[in-house]
Amino acid sequence: MTRQRPFFVQFLVPAVLVAVIFAAAMFNVLKYSFLEFVPGSLNVGGFTLENFTRINRPIYYWVLLDTFILSFATAFFALLLSYPISFALVRAERNWVRSVLVVLAITPLFTGEIVRTYSWMLVLGSDGVVNTALKSLGVIDRSVPIMYTRVGVVIALVQFAMPVMIILLATAISQINRDCEKAAANLGATPNTVFWWVTIPLTLPGILSGFVVVFAWTMSAFSTPQLIGGGKVLMISNVVYLQGFSSFNLPFAAVLSLVALFAALGSLALMKLLTARLEQNMATS
Amino acid sequence: MSKGTNMRSILFWTAVVAILVYMTLPAVVVVATSFNPTEVMAFPPSGFSLRWYEKALTYPDFQAAFKNSLIVMGMSSTLAMLLGSSFAYLIFHYNFRGRGLLEAALWSPLIVPHFTTGFGFLLLGSHLNLTQGFAVIVMAHLLLVTPFVTRAVFVSLSNVDPNYARAAANLGATPTRVMFKITVPLILPGMIGGWLIAAILSLTEFTASLYVTASRTQTLPVAMYNYIREYADPTISAISALLILSTTAIMIIANHFLGLRRILGIDNG
Amino acid sequence: MMHQKMTAITALEHSVEIKAVSKTFGAFHAVNNVSLPIRAGEFVTLLGPSGCGKTTLLNMVAGFIDPSAGAIHIGGVDVTNVPVHLRDTGMVFQSYALFPHMNVFDNVAFGLRQRKFSKSEVTRKVMQTIEMMKLSGMEGRRISQLSGGQQQRVALARAIAIQPKVLLLDEPLSALDKSLRAQMQVELIEMHRNTGLTTIFVTHDQGEALSLSDRIVVMNRGQIQQVAEPIDLYSNPANGFVASFIGEINALPAAIYQASDREISLAIGDIRMTAPRRPEWKFGSGEMVKAFVRPEHVRMATSADAGSNVVTGEVLTHIYQGSHTITRLRIDGLGPIEMRLPGGDVVGRVPVGMPAQIAFDLSQVILLADNPN
Repeated sequence: MTRQRPFFVQFLVPAVLVAVIFAAAMFNVLKYSFLEFVPGSLNVGGFTLENFTRINRPIYYWVLLDTFILSFATAFFALLLSYPISFALVRAERNWVRSVLVVLAITPLFTGEIVRTYSWMLVLGSDGVVNTALKSLGVIDRSVPIMYTRVGVVIALVQFAMPVMIILLATAISQINRDCEKAAANLGATPNTVFWWVTIPLTLPGILSGFVVVFAWTMSAFSTPQLIGGGKVLMISNVVYLQGFSSFNLPFAAVLSLVALFAALGSLALMKLLTARLEQNMATS
Repeated sequence: MSKGTNMRSILFWTAVVAILVYMTLPAVVVVATSFNPTEVMAFPPSGFSLRWYEKALTYPDFQAAFKNSLIVMGMSSTLAMLLGSSFAYLIFHYNFRGRGLLEAALWSPLIVPHFTTGFGFLLLGSHLNLTQGFAVIVMAHLLLVTPFVTRAVFVSLSNVDPNYARAAANLGATPTRVMFKITVPLILPGMIGGWLIAAILSLTEFTASLYVTASRTQTLPVAMYNYIREYADPTISAISALLILSTTAIMIIANHFLGLRRILGIDNG
Repeated sequence: MMHQKMTAITALEHSVEIKAVSKTFGAFHAVNNVSLPIRAGEFVTLLGPSGCGKTTLLNMVAGFIDPSAGAIHIGGVDVTNVPVHLRDTGMVFQSYALFPHMNVFDNVAFGLRQRKFSKSEVTRKVMQTIEMMKLSGMEGRRISQLSGGQQQRVALARAIAIQPKVLLLDEPLSALDKSLRAQMQVELIEMHRNTGLTTIFVTHDQGEALSLSDRIVVMNRGQIQQVAEPIDLYSNPANGFVASFIGEINALPAAIYQASDREISLAIGDIRMTAPRRPEWKFGSGEMVKAFVRPEHVRMATSADAGSNVVTGEVLTHIYQGSHTITRLRIDGLGPIEMRLPGGDVVGRVPVGMPAQIAFDLSQVILLADNPN
């Protein structure tokens, strides 16, 4: 007996079609990475492995390391700042407080890279809000450079990363069986002990996945390091753009794109491994 | 309960408010500077003027780019709603050979850096001689935003009691009737929510668009980026303010009607 | 042997006193002016339908909810303003709330570690409790590796390991299937006997309440309806709510037409009957009351029954239940009545649709004032 599968073919065909188109686009990146760069031309030559050997230069290691450090710092501070917001978002007693929090926390996700980056330029610039405020308070008498520094880039990146982090953490916090926290208090644990020994461990999967998702996401940030870094802070995305649109070295841009892609995939695979182990340990019946 | 709890809660909420200030400060500054009468981006603004709004709305590059953005947004988000909903239905109900591969392909735009996706479509577009039209842009956006629809609809499907569909079939409804009279109405909030997210993300997508648009087809974020690199006046503040305010309004409305917390899976208080 | 061990563990017994406690949520009175003294070592059950306030009351004893008014004393000390973690109550949650990121040993040890016992003391007490709860050998297991019954034992072990002043059980058996529940009831009784802990047990299951408790507190709409020992509660309900909530019962409108010191004569529809008077019946002649008769106190009439006590009804259905049969009859002017006949005596049954003569066991008829509760 064959089981009826209504809409199976109708729904499968478009999905496969779109997946194939995406695969074709990715395949093109892969293909270009093996093609010879012809200086001064958009056309490419024959098969070569030279693009991959080109990456073996200190400058690209520094860019990779910088990308890594900036992404790690972003994920760390985003976690630190997002946890209280997520906690309030799930646990606030009044419904309107939760609604205000969810709108304020999520909206930045939807205003787009350009608007957010531009906003931070206004805040962080030498005549920006932060410098003006600090000067008028007498804390400093000359503008401190925040634009075009790693600190400035991280300040902006953390804010971009927070909505995603908040969503992931809030989901984890909302799934806690609150009786576990009540039980711990009932057994004599102080509010601090309950938080560090019950709440935090129970949200560890969310913390981990939030951290890694933000890490991988930030690795591919482009407009923030481009505009706030202003060429002084280079992440891998900016080098790809430089290679592709200033030097027109599409094959090498393709190689760097692949490197970024595998770095992102690698960190996510690591997360899968870690969370799988965690969930194995914590699975409740 | 005890007095210590009070102190803790004051500290906690102070921290929450401070973090929210950090999150919203840039948006507040942008909206404020957009009303500045002078070219200097003073904050707080030195007066009130709408001249930058006038300039933003009459600037030909922005007008053309906005029109392009609407075309791309309309097509990609609508296609994404159809594709994402049907794909969610597919993976919710059926197991089939190659499903893992298909899922990997359609979820991966979430992981693949946008510049890699954009770069791939740039190369594919030039390979197929499609660099001047909207086809490649729409396709790239479709891939980038579909996962959000898929997730929203998948959550909706998981929350629907499967017995509704069974009951309808038991009462004699054909699979087509079950789909359009039972399943679709029940998951409609997820579909609409997914469509809305897709539309907003497409409208504001920048990195991939930078690669796949030509000067004739550039979308609004790309046009804004090019403007920022050339000029430093509050015109961009005006456009940004419009985008921020309309997004916030949409979020408030969406929260009221669709329940953002439910869509995001943050549901018990 | 086990008995001696646990008596040694439980050094002190503590009484609980709930004094005029109320809890309002907005305009809703979850608990309305409840006073309840509980003796040290007593097993008291809070019984009632969902929303009756029993869980709220338990949560107030534990300190999870602050009373809007009133006070709670444990061991003679006012704990109303004592935070949860200093109250020394051991609670077993409906969901068990076992810590999924800790193994059995660490779960049971959690409370002892908060109390800063030495490492060896913790180990000793945990192993002792684990042994008493028949969990030996499972110390290293993850919670997810345990069956429902084992989880329930770990939850109990965790709560009693700290030697709480009072043990609080929030519907702890409701997640178990029927046969396991019966077994856990026995273990709960043994545990209580071994530890002598003052225990407050919350349930909506009257069977559990009747078989476990020293005293049962029946609650409805935030108020106590009756506090009594199980037998008393069943045979002598204080009002209509308790009568209908505990066991099956026929409620019949009745009019008293004659009342003396020894007997009360009443009319139920066309039926006249005279029942021996109970001391708590204050009714006089001419009053309208409700007469409650349990199905097992209705039987087929015999020639020995006085004519006026015998009623004729039409048999509607027989519901066979193994050890007994429930028969529903319709009596003109009264509506349906249920009677319970022992065994499955198919031959002796009056066929459906035929008239049957029945009689009430007059000494068991309960009369209560006819005011809606």
